[in-house]
Amino acid sequence: MRVLVVEDDEILAEQIQQSLLEAGYAVDMSNDGEDGHFLGGTEPYDAVILDLGLPVLDGGSVLKKWRAAGKKMPVLVLTARDSWTDKVEGLDAGADDYLTKPFIVEELLARLRALIRRAAGQSSPQLECGPVLLDTRNGRVTVSGRAVKLTAQEFKLLSYLMHHAGKVISRTELTEHIYDQDFDRDSNTIEVFVNRIRKKLDTSIIQTVRGLGYRLEWDEGAV
Amino acid sequence: MKAELRHFFGTLTGRLVKSAALWSLAALAIGGLVLSLVFKSYVLNDVDKRLSMLIDSMVGVSEISPEGVLRFSRPLSDQRFMTPESGQYWQINEDGQDPFRSRSLWDYELAPDVKHRSFSLQYYEAAGPAGQSLRVAERDIILPQSDRLFHFQVGTDMAEVEAAIAEFNWLLISALGLIMATVTTALVLQVSYGLRPLRRLGRSLTEIRAGKENRIKGDWPQDLQPLAQEINALIEQNEKLVERARTHVGNLAHALKTPLAVIQNEVDGASDEASKRIYSQSRLIHEHVDHHLKRARVAGGGSGAGLAIKDRLEKLIKAVAVTTQEKGIDYQLNCEESIRFDGEKEDFDEVLGNLIDNAGKWAESKVSITAAKIAKSPRRSFMEIRVEDDGPGVGDEDIDTLFERGRRLDERVPGTGLGLAIVRDIVEMYGGQARLESVQPHGLRAVLKLPSK
Repeated sequence: MRVLVVEDDEILAEQIQQSLLEAGYAVDMSNDGEDGHFLGGTEPYDAVILDLGLPVLDGGSVLKKWRAAGKKMPVLVLTARDSWTDKVEGLDAGADDYLTKPFIVEELLARLRALIRRAAGQSSPQLECGPVLLDTRNGRVTVSGRAVKLTAQEFKLLSYLMHHAGKVISRTELTEHIYDQDFDRDSNTIEVFVNRIRKKLDTSIIQTVRGLGYRLEWDEGAV
Repeated sequence: MKAELRHFFGTLTGRLVKSAALWSLAALAIGGLVLSLVFKSYVLNDVDKRLSMLIDSMVGVSEISPEGVLRFSRPLSDQRFMTPESGQYWQINEDGQDPFRSRSLWDYELAPDVKHRSFSLQYYEAAGPAGQSLRVAERDIILPQSDRLFHFQVGTDMAEVEAAIAEFNWLLISALGLIMATVTTALVLQVSYGLRPLRRLGRSLTEIRAGKENRIKGDWPQDLQPLAQEINALIEQNEKLVERARTHVGNLAHALKTPLAVIQNEVDGASDEASKRIYSQSRLIHEHVDHHLKRARVAGGGSGAGLAIKDRLEKLIKAVAVTTQEKGIDYQLNCEESIRFDGEKEDFDEVLGNLIDNAGKWAESKVSITAAKIAKSPRRSFMEIRVEDDGPGVGDEDIDTLFERGRRLDERVPGTGLGLAIVRDIVEMYGGQARLESVQPHGLRAVLKLPSK
């Protein structure tokens, strides 16, 4: 899952980034509205954390511009202006959720998880595909009750696939959603990761769709 | 009645009318007095002139008879001298003789002042027959044919003259009274016409305060124009001050809260005593900042056309629903399209946002919001809004304490515990009412009374 954080306060931005990385997200950072607007408009993010009080271009305008341009990614707004009028205006501008400052990062992570799940059409915090269970709340993966230990990158990849179970996901799409923009991308590594995950899960839920990419699907008949 | 009169004379109209009326009354009184005096002296003068002429004609017809007695060569022309007690009398005295009297005197005798001899006419008041009060003229005369000294007297009853004077005075008073009444009526009309722009200005201000208008509009007389302009400038300045204060408050919120977020995240989860203390103190700062910023934002005034609450409630519900998506709370809104809140959008949002948010946090499955107009009181109209949840509710003994600042009955549900305190503050600032009551079988209902348009 790849997330964009647009926040101008350096320390707070760092705290958020740190927690997101620990929780297994690919994170892009931006500290002003114009740069943030550009990133959000060009890169495919699974969610955006947007501060409303930004230099150069304020968060509300950024959000309106994205929505006017047809960008539909879920946006969680951070605001110090916590009057209900501000909240209503934020949602009117196209926010999907808001968090008022000061907040605890855990709260932010919980809201973000829920936001990403809902955007992918998942209603439970536990994603399930056959015997494989991924708990988004703590990042634990089990197969038929047995815990599986995944590396950060493997988890990101599996998590993305599980959020979009049943859909064909291309390698490029996977690359875009598990690496942040500064990462030296190489789509061949995706294949390596997928094979490792298959081995660790010991089930055949990840299917290769030749020429297109991968699809997560539980086939009762398969082993 | 007395109080009303005092009230009227306390008004500008009353004062103007009163002062002008007092002057008019004084002028009319002086004029009337002078007229009455002039008339009286004119009438008396006339009487005296007639008396003097009568003496002249008496002298003219007087002769000494061959017997040496004074007699008239022919009777005086006025018949009233022949009729007893008619009011017209004459008498001629000579020392040592019986007085020669008009028949009208009958058996009465005038008292001549014979001690002071005078050949010029003397006028005075004296008693007459039948209790009449007479004006008498007298003089001493030496008839040309003799050396005898006669004392001539002629008298006339003053009753007639006095009646004439009284009638004149009565007429005068009636006329002056009529003039006074006319003048006063004219004064009232004139003053109220003259002051009409001031009353219009007053009405304009009332409309501004009621929020129907936001500026004094229209043409004003030249001497009122500067006042109207100054009032408009004052209103504008006030708006700017409020706006500036709100901007400052917003900026302050932003400036304080980001560092607070950093501090809280820095020490969150750490288990040493110092970090715990820092965390709890920073939460306290947060609560104080929230309370005062929210209070500062409350405007508490009427606004132009009023706020259409249905649309606003829908938006607020949407904003609250975002936070309760996991619980799947059903929000039901029952509100007439036409209800408008007589106040600021920010204040309405704060009150209903907090109440709906609170209901959403506690509700098991549903929150219902109903708004309706209530019977119009003579001065202002009100609406009633109910926000009801099906949560666990609150014990009756705790229900009244919920509006207190910093009060939170259950620490497990997030929130700063300031929401309900600010709700009550705002509602009271608008002259409304807020109360909480229990719902059967379980739940809490907030009932608000707020001014409507």
